[in-house]
Amino acid sequence: MTVLYLYPIWLRLWHWVNALIFVTLLLTGVSMHFSLHWLIPFDVAVPIHNTAGILLTLSWVVFVAGNLLGENSKHYRINLRTLPRDLIAQTRYYLYGIFVGAPHPFHVSSEQKLNALQTLSYVGVMYGLMPVLILSGWSFLFSPSLPDTLFGIGTIWIIAMVHLVVAWMLALFLIVHMYIITTGEKPTTNLKAMVTGWHKEETSG
Amino acid sequence: MMSFRPLSNLRSGMLQRPTGSGVPASRRLLSFGLLLLSLALIGSAFATTADSPEEGGQAANEEGLHKGDSQECMRCHWMETMAYRDRETGKIVNLSIDTKAYSHSVHAELACGDCHDRGYSRYPHRTSSSDENLHCVECHEDREDDGAPNLIGLKHEYDKSVHVTEDVEEFSCFSCHNPHKFQPARSGETIADVVAQTNDTCLDCHTDLLTPVPKGHDWLPKPQAHWSSVRCLDCHTPLEGRIPERPSHDVLAAEESNQLCVECHSKGSTLLSQLYNFRAEQERERTGFFSQAIYNDAYIVGMTRNPWMDRIGLAVIVLMILGVAAHGIGRYLTHRKRETSS
Repeated sequence: MTVLYLYPIWLRLWHWVNALIFVTLLLTGVSMHFSLHWLIPFDVAVPIHNTAGILLTLSWVVFVAGNLLGENSKHYRINLRTLPRDLIAQTRYYLYGIFVGAPHPFHVSSEQKLNALQTLSYVGVMYGLMPVLILSGWSFLFSPSLPDTLFGIGTIWIIAMVHLVVAWMLALFLIVHMYIITTGEKPTTNLKAMVTGWHKEETSG
Repeated sequence: MMSFRPLSNLRSGMLQRPTGSGVPASRRLLSFGLLLLSLALIGSAFATTADSPEEGGQAANEEGLHKGDSQECMRCHWMETMAYRDRETGKIVNLSIDTKAYSHSVHAELACGDCHDRGYSRYPHRTSSSDENLHCVECHEDREDDGAPNLIGLKHEYDKSVHVTEDVEEFSCFSCHNPHKFQPARSGETIADVVAQTNDTCLDCHTDLLTPVPKGHDWLPKPQAHWSSVRCLDCHTPLEGRIPERPSHDVLAAEESNQLCVECHSKGSTLLSQLYNFRAEQERERTGFFSQAIYNDAYIVGMTRNPWMDRIGLAVIVLMILGVAAHGIGRYLTHRKRETSS
C-alpha cells in the first residue's frame, strides 16, 4: 500500500474555500443571468455575487502566492516532450482502458501528483480562465469607468460575453472535475486525499 | 451639517452678510483645494452636478434671496400661506417661496429681481405682473459667462417633443421645472429617489396613469416594479443621441416610445446606461471603492443574455452531464461484469 502526503493544509483549505466561493458565484451568477427569482432573488444575488467575486480574486492571489513560495508549483510544470504521449495514453485510458480494467497509465508520486490531462486542465483553469474571469468581473464592477465602445461594439457587452463564456467553461470544468476525481483507485480515493491530505492506494505502482 | 440661516435671518430681519473674514486664509485655501479635487473627480462631463448643497447654501447666504430687493420680496413670500384665488379659474395660486429649497436650487445665487424685473413695485402686485415673459433659454444664454449652462440643445429636443407638437395648452419649462426649487440629482440620492422625483414630475399632470395597471402600459410586465427603478423618460425619449448628463427633452408620444424589452434587458442596455452608469459613478464618490463595487446597480436582468450563447452553453453542459453519467454507468457495469466473471 502506498501512502503519500500530497496536499498540505494550506492547499486543502484553499481548495475548499475556493470551491465554496466558486459554487456561490455559479449559483448567484446563474440566478442573475436567467433571472431565477426562486433560486436567489435578484437583489440578493447581485451583492453576494460581487462580494464572492472579490473573494475569488483574493483566493486566486493566495493560490499563486502559495505556489510561488512553496513546492506545490512543481506539479503544474508541463513537460512538453512527454506531453503528447502522456495525453494520448491518459485519454485512451479514460475512453477505453477504464472499462476493461487496464492499469492506470499514470502513477501518483510525491514528485508528480497530477497526470498530463490534469496538469493541462488545472494550468489552463488557474492561469488561463481564472484571470480572464476575474478581470472581466472587475470590469463589470467598474463598468462606468470603461469606454462606451470597443472596436465599434459596446464595451460592456464584450465584457459580458467574455465573462459569460469563461463562466460556462469553468462550469464545464467543475462538472468534469467532480466526475474525474471518482476515477481513482476507488471512487472516493481522490476526494479523501483532498480532505485528509493523504493519498492512499492499495496497490503500489 | 447644513445651516439654513437665510430663513431665520429673514424672519427676524437681522440680516448679516457673512464675509468669510473670520475664516483663516489657509483653511479657505484648503477648502478650495478640496473643492477642486472633488470637481476633478466628478469629471468635467458632469460639471452641472458639481453644485453641492453646501455651495448652494453658501451662495444663498451671500447673495440670492439676500441680494438687492429680494429681502423686500421675501418679507411676504417666505410665508407658506402666501397665495391667492385666481378669479378666472377659481384655483388657488401658490405664491410662497420655500427659502430652504431655493437656497439649494441651481438658481440660489439669483436675486428675485434677476428674473422678475418689472411690474412689482405696487402692493399687492397687479394681476398683469404675472404676465411677464420668462425665457429660460435666452436668460441662460445671456448669463453663460456667469456659469449658466446653455440650454439651446435642450430647446431643440423640447421643440420636437410631444408636449410641443401636440400643442399642449400653456406648456412651458415651468410645467415640469420649478425654477425656485430645481436642482440636478445629487450624489447622496439613491436611484430609487431620483426615479421617484423624476417620475413624479410626469405624474403630476398624467394623473390618469396613477392606477395599478396604468393606461397604455398593460404590455409591460410588472409596471410598478419598472416605475420604481426606471424613469418614464428612459423609455419615452429617443434612443439616439443620448448623453449621460441628463435625459433628453424630446419626450415621445406613446406610440413612438420604446417597447422593446431587449433595449434594456440585453446588450449595451442603451436605455439604462444613462441613468445607471451616471449614478454608479456618483455613488462611488460617496461610498468608496469597495462598497460601490459590491452594491453597484449597474447589472440589469438579461444584460448578459444572448440567446445563441445560452443555447450553446446549456447544450454543452447538458451533453457533458449526460456524457459523464454514461461514462460512470459504463464503468460501473463493466466493473461489475469483471467482478462476477473473476
